[in-house]
Amino acid sequence: MPKVSVEDLKAGMKLAKALSRGNMVLLGEGTVLTETWISRIGDMGVDAIFVDGPSEQPIPKEEAIRQLDLRFRNVLDKPYMERIKKMVQEHIERLYV
Amino acid sequence: MSDKIDIRTLRSNVESINALPTVPSTLRRISLVMEKPSIGLDELGSLISNDPALTAKILRMINSAAYGFPGRISSVSHATMLLGLSVIKGLLIGVSVFELMEKTMIGLWEHSLGCTVVARMIAQKKGLKEPEEVSVCGLLHDIGKAVLMLQYAEMYDKAMHEAEKTGTNIHETEAGYFMASHAEVGHWLVKKWHFPMNLVETIRYHHHPNLSKQSPIETAIVHVSDVLVRAKGVGYPGDLVVPAVHPAAWKLLNLSENDVGDLLNNLEDATSSVREMT
Repeated sequence: MPKVSVEDLKAGMKLAKALSRGNMVLLGEGTVLTETWISRIGDMGVDAIFVDGPSEQPIPKEEAIRQLDLRFRNVLDKPYMERIKKMVQEHIERLYV
Repeated sequence: MSDKIDIRTLRSNVESINALPTVPSTLRRISLVMEKPSIGLDELGSLISNDPALTAKILRMINSAAYGFPGRISSVSHATMLLGLSVIKGLLIGVSVFELMEKTMIGLWEHSLGCTVVARMIAQKKGLKEPEEVSVCGLLHDIGKAVLMLQYAEMYDKAMHEAEKTGTNIHETEAGYFMASHAEVGHWLVKKWHFPMNLVETIRYHHHPNLSKQSPIETAIVHVSDVLVRAKGVGYPGDLVVPAVHPAAWKLLNLSENDVGDLLNNLEDATSSVREMT
C-alpha cells in the first residue's frame, strides 16, 4: 500500500488505513476518495495517506531480482540464507502484481 | 604493523567528537548534555521544547511509520511521558545523527530507519515489554560508521570501495584500516552518553550476537533486522552484499515465513515515507 501525498491523491483511490484524529475516525478504511474528501483532507493539514494498491517501484522487477541475486551471491551456502532469500524474493514478486 | 591508528588514539578521538569542527551543531549540543551522568526527563524535555526545529524533528519521527503510535503525538511532554527517558535520548541522538549520516554516507539513514521499523516489529512479535527501546537500538546500531566517516573519511571511503569491489561486508574490510570496528566505536559513544545497557550491547555485538550476555534477545533482533533490511536492499550501509545470519540468533527468534512476510511488507510501507522525515 503506497503512501500518497495529498497533492497526488485522485478521486477513486481507496483508503488502505482509516484516517483518524486523536481517537476519532474521520474516514474509515476502504473509503473511496472523492474530490470533496481530497480537498478536506488537504484542509485538515494531513500530509499524506495510505491508499490501496502496490507501491510504485523505482526499478523493474527483473532488475530487482538481479540485484537480489547479487546481494546474496556469497552467502547462499550459509545456514538459513537460501530460505531468507526465497522469502525476500517472494516479497519482491508480490510488489509487482 | 600497518599504519592503522592505535586503538587508544582512535577511542579518544571518537570520544572527543564534540571538539570536531565538522560535527553538526545540534549533535554537539546534545552530546554535551548526554555526557552528564544524571539527566532527567524534565531537563531533556525542556531542551527539546526550547528548540522549535528539534521539536519538529522529534515529533515527526515519533509520528512516522517507524513508530506508528495510534493517533498523533503533538507535544514533547506527551512524548516523554509515553516513551520514557532512554527512548527519548535515543531519538534525540537519532535525529541529530541524521544530519551527520546524510553528510557522510548517503543511504545509511535509510538503512538505519529500516532497521528501526523491523526491530520494533520483531520485538512486538516476540512480546518484549519495550519494543520502542529495541527500535532505538535499530536506529543507532550503525552510528559508529557515521562517526568513523566523519573523522577518517578517506580511510573509511577506501574500506567501502574495497567492500564494493570485492563483494564483502564493510565490517570485514574496515578491519584492514581500523583497530576497532564501527560496532566497537558506536558502543564507546553510547556508553559515554550513558545509554542503558541493552543499547550499548546491541550496538557492540550486532555482528556477533552470540557474544551478548545482558541482552541476547535484543541483540539478536538488531542483528536479524540488519540482515533483513540488507536482504531487501533498503538504503546503503557501506557495502552491497547481505551478510550471513548468525544461526543461533535466527533460531532464537524463530520467525515464521508469515512473520518475515509481514516484516518485509511493513518495511516496504515505511520506506516510502522515509524521505519525508528530514
